[in-house]
This record gives sequence, structure tokens and C-alpha cells, in this order.
Amino acid sequence: MAAATEGERAQRRLGWLLCAPAALVMLAVTGWPILYAVWLSFQRFDLKYPDQREFVGLDNYLTVLGNGYWWTAFGVTVLITVVSVAIELVLGMALALVMHRALVGRGLVRTVTLIPYGIVTVVAAFSWRYAWTPDTGYLAELITPGGAPLTGTGSSLAIIIVAEIWKTTPFMALLLMAGLALVPEDLLKAAAMDGAGPWQRFVKVMLPVMKPAILVALLFRTLDAFRVFDHIVVLTSGAQDTSSVSVLAYNNLIKGLNLGIGSTMSVLIFLAVALIAWIFVKLFGTAAPGGDDGGRR
Amino acid sequence: MRKARAVAVLGAVCASVLAACAPPPDGRTVNLYYAPEENLQAVVDRCNERAAGRYRIVYHKLPREADGQREQMVRRLAAGDAGMDVLGLDVTWTAEFAEAGWIREWTGAAQRSASAGTLSGPLETATWEGRLYAAPKNTNVQLLWYRKDLVPEPPATWDEMIAESQRLAGEGKPHWISFSGAQFEGLFVHYNSLVESAGGRIVSEDGKRAVVDAGAVRALEALRDFGTAGVTSAAMNNAMQDDARREFETGQAAFQLNWPFVYPSLQENTPELARDVGWARLPGVVPGVPSKSTIGGYNLAVSSHSTKPDLAFEAALCLRSPEHQLFSAINDGVPPTVESVYEHPSMAEEYPMKDAILEALKDPGVRPVTPAAQNVSTVLTNLLAPVAEIDPAATAERMRTEVQNALDSKGVMP
Amino acid sequence: MADVGGAATRARKVKWTVLDVVVVVYALLPVLWIASLSFKTEATLGDGHLIPREWTLENYATIFSTDEFTRALVNSIGIALIATAIAVVLGAMAAYAIARLEFPGKRLLVGASLLIAMFPQVSLVSPLFEIERVLGLFDTWPGLILPYTTFSLPLAIYTMSAFFREIPWELEKAATMDGATPGQAFTKVIAPLAAPGVFTTAILVFIFCWNDFLFAISLTSTEASRTVPVALQFFTGDSQFEDPTGSISAAAVVITVPIVVFVLLFQRRIVSGLTSGAVKG
Repeated sequence: MAAATEGERAQRRLGWLLCAPAALVMLAVTGWPILYAVWLSFQRFDLKYPDQREFVGLDNYLTVLGNGYWWTAFGVTVLITVVSVAIELVLGMALALVMHRALVGRGLVRTVTLIPYGIVTVVAAFSWRYAWTPDTGYLAELITPGGAPLTGTGSSLAIIIVAEIWKTTPFMALLLMAGLALVPEDLLKAAAMDGAGPWQRFVKVMLPVMKPAILVALLFRTLDAFRVFDHIVVLTSGAQDTSSVSVLAYNNLIKGLNLGIGSTMSVLIFLAVALIAWIFVKLFGTAAPGGDDGGRR
Repeated sequence: MRKARAVAVLGAVCASVLAACAPPPDGRTVNLYYAPEENLQAVVDRCNERAAGRYRIVYHKLPREADGQREQMVRRLAAGDAGMDVLGLDVTWTAEFAEAGWIREWTGAAQRSASAGTLSGPLETATWEGRLYAAPKNTNVQLLWYRKDLVPEPPATWDEMIAESQRLAGEGKPHWISFSGAQFEGLFVHYNSLVESAGGRIVSEDGKRAVVDAGAVRALEALRDFGTAGVTSAAMNNAMQDDARREFETGQAAFQLNWPFVYPSLQENTPELARDVGWARLPGVVPGVPSKSTIGGYNLAVSSHSTKPDLAFEAALCLRSPEHQLFSAINDGVPPTVESVYEHPSMAEEYPMKDAILEALKDPGVRPVTPAAQNVSTVLTNLLAPVAEIDPAATAERMRTEVQNALDSKGVMP
Repeated sequence: MADVGGAATRARKVKWTVLDVVVVVYALLPVLWIASLSFKTEATLGDGHLIPREWTLENYATIFSTDEFTRALVNSIGIALIATAIAVVLGAMAAYAIARLEFPGKRLLVGASLLIAMFPQVSLVSPLFEIERVLGLFDTWPGLILPYTTFSLPLAIYTMSAFFREIPWELEKAATMDGATPGQAFTKVIAPLAAPGVFTTAILVFIFCWNDFLFAISLTSTEASRTVPVALQFFTGDSQFEDPTGSISAAAVVITVPIVVFVLLFQRRIVSGLTSGAVKG
């Protein structure tokens, strides 16, 4: 490597200077808690029996990974994540196009669309629970007369996914809409002039420009969906095998006060999510932030 | 009152100038952490008045849900926080908090005062390894609520109740049995009542071993038979206590197994229906043997980290004095733990069912007393729900392993 | 987009209106259900009707009868606004550097911030509580603003750097060559292009702070800093077993208003950045 020129050195200094505040805040707030959680995962530590605390190496990991509850919850979590994020991407894109292009009532649509995301999750979940319970709700009678959809595994999971989708599609839609705002109008016009149909314009012109926005939306939505918690606790309390890994971690860590096992689950969730993120970043290649030659510079 | 507000305002000011100011240097403040109870502040005010400056209780509300209350207190106690003095504990938490060394034992005059005239069931919930760790503030017990216009005599056993319900169904009359069958603590309360009524045990007396004996298996059979008899609404498997109450208020049910809070609500929401509703001791499992109903309620404990334990014990005793228990019973609907309070004339007015409550309280069922009570209940409710799918012998076998794991704090909780 | 005939325009307007209606119904039907619960009396709460049979304002009167709820509202607005401002400013600085500059440690920062967004927060609250208790930040505004800023920074950095990369920065140079000062070049050319990313980020971060329950319940203990989602957990029902569903629904409706206002103010800024004469790829 050749010696850095004056300009490179200035650029380096400026880069560090601009990143330092954000990096310091994140490090100060999360550095110790994350290390502490990892450290706990190698210990037997139940708050109820503080004097039995000891270092057990990877025992907790073996216990969790050898447990049926964990794998059931893991399967449920993956199912909820994949289905809800896939539907949200399509629905979010449609919503984004409406929000972006609407000829009439654009402000109204943009504001209204975001309301589901702004409602406090627990309250929304309770209202779904009411709606899907026979006698107290309008949906149960309408869609499954005579049944109680929240008492079966399949129907419960479907309702949990619907609730997730309704709540978080706006997140996707907003990010994609901002991505749409970056698509230069003249490019679209030029493409139309060259005889490209709407679908071709969408695939050939809009998608490439939106790639970074799509990546961010997918990435953060997936991380979030993988940690689904509120909807499950409120709608089914995790009954009939509807627990997610986060519900399990909560039950062991906070309810059970078993800091060792609970932290182990946290670390495992983290590793699973990291794997997903890694796959996304690889798939999107240079569109990922920090990618070497991305962007138009 | 005014002083409390001044403190609160001061707190807000501190926060807004982004400075961390210490709490007012007042060695006489006793911080009470307790579930939201509408008129508890009035009791606090009265105690403060009576204390004449010796101590001043400040009531800090905890979240509404039991899990949230426990979580808040545990987090602060585990960190050695000295800011909490008197704690309101659900009856199932005493052993856990005592074993972890978070609460103080009641001894001497305070212990005598807390036990004097207190019913033995609630006292048992406040005791761990033969020592008293809390003073019972209020108790609770489930009753059978039934429609007098449909059922002449309350059924004495579960089998009778199911048969009655099926008879009513055949006649095309309201016949459901409203029951909280969701996977949560309330389902465990039902199961525990059944086990105790059948003379069984889930956990050994010392709280160390999983037993799940013949009585516990008998209770599983009773629950399964109930679940498969077609006597509940479709929503039963996801119903909590408040859902069961609401279902009964629609008039489609003939029976309800629930805490006494359902009665004032019934009178308020559906007065015509309330006139036809009677109450009785819960149905039993074995013919001729009366049921045992699981008790609920709250106990008051003193934090080990409290810097003024003497004042805290004194304040706790005042909050649960017979006089204040009567006040809370009438204003907040929480049944007293001191037997003599039930004889007060104003109780008869507010609690027409007080004799049934007292009768059940004198022969109660107590949930397993062990530091791992929460884990035991989490494990069990997961195996119990949905009740129709219980396979008594196999379920009991799984219970033995998983309860033992929970007691030993081994393995993974569902 | 070529035909501008009157009939065609009308047809397109009708088409868009229908789409609008579909979107509004999709987004609002469940919200109307919550609103409906908030207007029902205690006795009719569980009757399953979408339109209340007996209307009441009692639930609204209840939540405003003490200052418990209004205090929480003030806390929520203050904390969410401050945290959003800080996160957007710090995030924008870092995002600019990531999108535009080459410096060692860039990938580390990008990776580490994603790591923070990925770690399950439920296992971080207890150690955070202990730190804040020692520092005297427990139950204060900064005690919540700090974690909110921290946990929204990854999203802020990712979102904004994704958008900043797409900005044709050479326009800035072109503008200065045309005689604009660097300040003018920034405010006239770059700022409008960066706006969609910045305001999108602001909306998302604000809603994240507004809705957080986990940190708010764990790091507060009094009305000094308790936020709305947590305050809902302190509403008193008629008994230990009854949920004050009516009051909670009313509160949920009330606290949606600030979100609507915030979104209304900010969404206007998210418009097509590039119109005419811009770049070609």
C-alpha cells in the first residue's frame, strides 16, 4: 500500500470524526450488556438459587439445542418470519406505489397507511384477540362461524401472521416509497419512449435504483419479525405450539429467572438473525451499505 | 397527599434538567410497591395519619399484570436496590423471594401481630421452611356460580355438573360451563383445586420433589372428561378469567368457575341475570368429599435491602390491619385474611356470598410452595392446555419429569 | 403518461380513488374496531358489534380524570422527539461518511451497528438497568433517550446511507462551478435530494421510540419518565382480574393523534427528488 496522500488522510480523519459520535453512543450503551449476556450464557445461574452459580462452558447450549420446545419454537419463528416478510414485501411495494403515485388524496393515503405502524402493538394485539373471539368480536362470527380460531395451531398462526403483516407493512411501504422517490422521472420517461411497458419499466428502471432501499427494508423487517413476541403472548400465550423463540427466551430469562439458559437463547437468536443478515448482504452484494463500489459517486 | 404531589413534581423537575437528584433525604419514607388497587391510596393516607410523622408511606403502583409486578421487583431486588421497603407479593411468590434472600423473616411482635386471627390457608402461603416471610393482606377463593332458574341444586361433583350441563343442552337451554382454559396461571389454579379435591399432590411437602400421585392423575382424568364432554364454548381453550366472566354474562352458560369479582360485575352489567345467579363451593372430584378451592391473594413482605425495616414492618401491619382489610374488602372487593372481619355487619351487605367464601377458605387448596412455583406452573399449564387433549397416564409421566426439572432449575421451560 | 385527454384523466382519477379507498379500509378497519371499543359501555364491551349500540365518552373521561395519562403523554412526546432528533443527526453524519468517504474501520462500524440491531433486547435490559441505577439515570428522561437513540441508530445509519449513496453528488460540484457557494450548493441541490431518506428515517425512529414497551417498563418507575405504552399497564380495572379494556382503547385512540400529526408534517418531504435535468444513471 502506498503512503496515503494528504487528501486521503483528510478524508480518513473526516470519516472518523463523523462516525465517532454514533459509534461512541452505541458502544457505551450496548457494549457491556452484550458482553455480559454472552458471559452469562456460559454459566449456570438461576437468580432463585444465587449460590449455585458456576461456569459450565457450553452445557447451556447443549441443553437448549437438545430440547424439543426450542426446535418447535424455532420452526414456528422461521415460518412466521418467512411468510410475513414475503407478503409484506409484495404488499408494501403495492402500497408504496399507491402512496407515491396517487393522483388524488396522496397526503391522506400516506398518513393513513402509517397509522397501523403507529398503534401500540399490545393494544392492537388485544383488539385482534377480541375480534377473533366468538361473541366478543366481529371477525370470528364472520369468517369462522361456530369455531374459535384462536384455539387451533394452524388458525392461530394464521391470525398471528395477519396481525404482524397488518402492523408492519407500513414500515416496508415507507422505506420503499422513499426509495421510489429516488427514481429519476426522466429515466422512466425515456424508457416509456423506448416502448417499455409498465412492468418492464418497474423491473428494468425502478428496481435497480431501489435495490439499497429494498435491502434495508427486508433486512430490518426480517430481524424484527424473527423476534416476534407481543402478538403471540397476547393472542395465544404460546399455547398449542405457537411459541416463538423470543417467547421462550422471555419465559426462561424473565419469568423463570434462569439467566444462564435465557442468555443462551438470546445468543442463539442473535446467531440465527446474524446468519439471515449475512445471506441478505451477500445476495445484494454491492448494494449493501459500505459495499465497495456501490452508489453513484 | 400534597406532599406526595410535591415530591412527584420535584421528580419531574429533576428529570427535565437532565440531572440525577437523590431522593429527598427523609429517613421516614416507607416505599410501598403494590399492584394497582383503586382505593389503596386511601388506606395509605389513613396509616400515614395514624403514624403521626413516625413514617410516611409512599404508594408506588406496579403494573396490572402479575408477571409485570414480579419482573419489576425481582430486577430491583437482584440489583440490591434500597429504594423499596414494603412489597406486595402474589401468594405464590413468597418461597421464591425468601429463598433468594430478598425479603426479611417476620419475628417477634411483628410475627405475632401478623398471625393473630389470620386464617391458616393464607398464612401457609406466607410461610417458607417453617418461617413467616410475609403478612397476608388479602386472600381470594373461587366459587361455583350457577343459574338458579336452570339448576335447582348446585352440583356437588364435576361429574354431576357435566351431567346437568348435558341435560340442559338436550333441553335446548343455556348449558355452557364457563371456564378459563387458556394456557396461563388461571388454568393451573383450576387444576390445583382438582388435585387437592382428589386428595392428590403435585410436589412433595418440602417442595423439592415432583410427586404427581394418583390423586393428580385422577384430576387429569376429570379435566379431560370435562374438555371432551361438549359442555363449553368453542373459545374455552383460549379464555382467561375475564373472558369466562364475559361469556357467562351473555346468558349462554349455566355454570361458571371463577373468583368472586364476577358477582359485582354481573350486578352492574346484567342486573336481571344477577338475580338468578347463585353460588356454592366448587364441585368436588370424589363423591362425598367436599372440594378444596385454590387460594389467591396478596401478601406484604419487607425487602432485605430496606434501610428502615422496623418502620416497614410497622407500616405493613397497618396496611393489613383488620380495620383496613374491611375497608379494602368493601371498596376494592378483596376478601380479608382475618377471620373476625367476616363477622362485621357491613360485610354481609357487600358480600352476600361471604359464608361460602369463608367455608372454602377454612379448607383451602394451596398451590405448591417452592421457590420454583412460577416454573412449575409454566411447565404444567403447557402440558394441560388444551384440556381435551390430556392423556392422563402419559401426561402425568411427562409432568413428573418436567416438574422435577423445573424444581431443580434444569432444562428448558416451554 | 403521454395522453392527457379529459376522459382519460377522469378514468385515472376514478381508478386512484378506488385504490385510495382500498388502502384506507385496509389500514383503518382494525383501528375503527379499537375506536369502537373505546366508545362502548362496560356492559356492551363484549357484544361483538363493530358499531357500538350504546355510546359513551366515559372511557375518555376516565383517562383524563387524573394526570397519570397526560403526564405519560408529555413524557412520550418529549422523549421520542429528543431521541429522534439525536438519532437522525448522529445517524446522518455517520451515513454521509459511510456513503461518501473511504476510511479504515468503515466496514467494522457497519457490521457492528447491525449487530446491535440484532441482539435480543430482552437480555440487555437487566444489565442496562444496573448501569443506569449506578449512574443515577434510572427513571429519568435521559435514561430512556440514550437506549432509544442507540437502538434506532443502526436503522438510521442503514436507511440514510442507502439513500445518500443514490444521490448524484456530482451535482454539487456542477452547482459550485455554476457559481453557487458551497452552502447554496448544499441547501439548493443536495438537501432536497437527501430529504426523503432523512424524513423517512425520522418517521420510523419516532414511531420506534413512541411504541417501545420493553425499555420503558424496565428503566422507569414513576410518572417522572413513564411513557404511554407503559402507563397503559398501570390503568386500574374494577378488580385484579378485569382489564380496563375501555380505557385502554380510549388511550390507544388518543395516542394515535401525535403519530398522525408527526407523519402529516414529515411525509410531505418525501417526494420525488429528481425531476428534470438531473443525471442519467
